[in-house]
Amino acid sequence: MNKIVLLILVVSAFSITSVHAQNKDSLSFDERNKYIYYQVAEETKVKADTLYERALHFLKNAFENDRLKLSKEDKDKAILTGKGGFMVTKKALVSMQDDAKITFNMVIEVKDGKYRYWFTDFAAIPYRRDRYANFSPVDGKKIPLEQGLRKLGQKTLDDYLEQTLINCRNISGVLKTYMQKPSGTPKNDGIKRSVTTKEW
Amino acid sequence: MKRKLLLLSIMSAAIFTAKAQDSTLSITGSVDTYYKYDFADPKGGLGQIPTSFATDHNSLSIGMVDIALKKKISKAAFVGELSFGPRGQYQSIPAGDGNDLNGTNSFHIQNLYISYDLTDKLNVTAGYMGTFIGYEVISPTANFNYSTSYLFTNGPFQNAGFKATYTFSDKVSLMAGIFNDQWNGYRAFENGMDNFGAQLGLHPVEGWDAYLNVITGHTMGTEFDLTTAYQITDMFKLGLNAAVYSSSDYAKANFELPGFAGVALYPQVAVSSSVSLGLRGEYFKFKSDGPDVKAITATANIKAGPLTFIPEVRLDSWNEEAFEKKNGDPTKSASQFLLAAVYAF
Repeated sequence: MNKIVLLILVVSAFSITSVHAQNKDSLSFDERNKYIYYQVAEETKVKADTLYERALHFLKNAFENDRLKLSKEDKDKAILTGKGGFMVTKKALVSMQDDAKITFNMVIEVKDGKYRYWFTDFAAIPYRRDRYANFSPVDGKKIPLEQGLRKLGQKTLDDYLEQTLINCRNISGVLKTYMQKPSGTPKNDGIKRSVTTKEW
Repeated sequence: MKRKLLLLSIMSAAIFTAKAQDSTLSITGSVDTYYKYDFADPKGGLGQIPTSFATDHNSLSIGMVDIALKKKISKAAFVGELSFGPRGQYQSIPAGDGNDLNGTNSFHIQNLYISYDLTDKLNVTAGYMGTFIGYEVISPTANFNYSTSYLFTNGPFQNAGFKATYTFSDKVSLMAGIFNDQWNGYRAFENGMDNFGAQLGLHPVEGWDAYLNVITGHTMGTEFDLTTAYQITDMFKLGLNAAVYSSSDYAKANFELPGFAGVALYPQVAVSSSVSLGLRGEYFKFKSDGPDVKAITATANIKAGPLTFIPEVRLDSWNEEAFEKKNGDPTKSASQFLLAAVYAF
């Protein structure tokens, strides 16, 4: 019994430590008073041109178009811009239902040996039930998250910000993977290669 | 202790497995109830204004409990929506298959369809679906006003059939389909799938959506419909519905359906994140020198989480003596107050 209690305490402590470690990055306000998720990362041995190509490859291929797509490229300034969106859900009867879509812009800027990126211009498009029992966007509604307290209420805004942060972290993780490897990385085509069992 | 831990582990594993399997199944719906008072205090328990739902006078009455199941895996999806209660049965869907033996039977089905995304832009759907015609709908969670317009009441509620929707861009989409001969029926009757329907969706600028709709067939006739809404400012939204319906010879002979034309305007102001105020002004006329009516409805939506309170005052005025006063004398106008509560889940 004592061992079980000890194990639970160790696991709990580990979980709390992990959460704190993950929370080092967070949403902040930029100079325009807009929410921003801003990160700088290093790839010390990689030239700017290469990082640019890898970032371009990321924006073109990493996600479905409705989640993140390339919207502008400027090679002279070494800046790429993408547009994206993700669904935020709320608890329904026994499952989750679409509550809104959060749209955002993502900017990636590269230099020799490092790059920075940020997500900003977050706006919520509310969803509601339509005549076909689907949840679809409310016509004409787009609420910048900076106005969320007034238009969505504290609880909803907090929920949206939390899900926004999680989404930014997820995309960041994928970006870092793309920035670490050559941009021509072929997609997994799902074809199983033959395996030899004679040597091992 | 070990047995308890083992049991706990098995239960946890079962819960996680169930959640993983059901992760894309959506169960949503609503429950609604209302109190209405017709100011002429008519006898017999029913109010005088003849549009759909919220029919009962001086009574705490029920609307419906509505449950929609939806699941989408990859490109294939289904929706099954069941409803129980006056609003969800005889006031909005037909009974059984139309045969005498099924005269009082209800299938409780508002939506039952299967759809498939052939490409990113092209979707095909088959089944029994809420109609694409009109501004207002059956579900109280998707309407601003609780009582309904004459355009809604006299148009189709559902159409069963097959349709294909192509999205050209963020600004333009087109739906075309063939539908069963009679509006609202679960199956075709004498004339098979003789209705053609189409919807051109336009989104010219951010905040403005417009749908040009048509449904036409030998059995029911032809209805043209424009449904549009423009979120002009953060606070102010303006909606419009206009329609004209020409009854076919078949519909005149078999259902005594007159043609009609009408227009309804829906200005709405969001006072805060939880309170909105709106008006509905409608002009509606039956064709061939039939009567006409002007109706104005003032409605508030007061939200408290999933619950919406809807207080509403309505005044209808016909060009002929269609109603009765409190003393029984005929009159052209009638008015009512209602308070509805709608819970969405």
